[in-house]
Amino acid sequence: MPKDIPADAEEISLGGFNKFVGPLYRLPDEEGRALYVFQIGPKHMNAAGTVHGGMLMAFADVAMSRTARLVTGAGTCSTVSLVCDFLRPGRLGEVVEARVRVTRKARTLVFLAAELCGETDLLLTASGTWKIGDAA
Amino acid sequence: MTAPPGFTETVLADPFEIHVGPVFERGSGGERVFLLRIGERHVNMRGVLHGGMLMTFADLALGQAAWDLTDHAHVVTLSMQSQFLKPARVGDVVEVRPRLLRRTRSLLFLRGDFQVAGELIYTASSIWKILGEA
Repeated sequence: MPKDIPADAEEISLGGFNKFVGPLYRLPDEEGRALYVFQIGPKHMNAAGTVHGGMLMAFADVAMSRTARLVTGAGTCSTVSLVCDFLRPGRLGEVVEARVRVTRKARTLVFLAAELCGETDLLLTASGTWKIGDAA
Repeated sequence: MTAPPGFTETVLADPFEIHVGPVFERGSGGERVFLLRIGERHVNMRGVLHGGMLMTFADLALGQAAWDLTDHAHVVTLSMQSQFLKPARVGDVVEVRPRLLRRTRSLLFLRGDFQVAGELIYTASSIWKILGEA
């Protein structure tokens, strides 16, 4: 486990793409909300020496998809749309934390918003829509 | 991994793109077509292409197009909007030809329609900042 990840974090990147780009972690719930973290490592970077946007979007998608499953109790939820805004570059070694908020839960869809925070301030904001169950 | 007929491997500089690649391309200048062959490392536990991988491929392909269009300026993604239309699976080949929607002095507006076997599976629109401009 990377040294700056809390000891009580649970690894959630157990297979496939998540494991390939991970490790990714879930922290114990804070006020009933799940928190997700990962530490920016050498493989997550771009040539300019900052974290690659694809990795931040992938991490947002993982945290938000898990939140969609958590709040609906569904076995699978599929991302239908996702908008990401990049606020500042992320640095090597920074621990990135994802906080996800449910905007609205409907019968077949969940609307979520997320903030990815680095050590000092926000790196990325995201909002998206998830279909409960498999994609149509 | 060998390139499909008519394609060559895209030269990548970003460690994260090298990690999740390779990707392949044909054509030149601002007209390049990019291709990703889906492997086990690109999918989720259900065997479906991971949204994070698709968004990474989109950022890579549209970023390469932005680089072509600015004569190799340093460009960064400001925002990206994704629509996931249909799942793709291991063995599928995803193809995109990025398109320029509009260019201003400091911004590029790009779009990519991603297809598997001629069928649209995903679209991405992104806005890029050209660094070194006011």
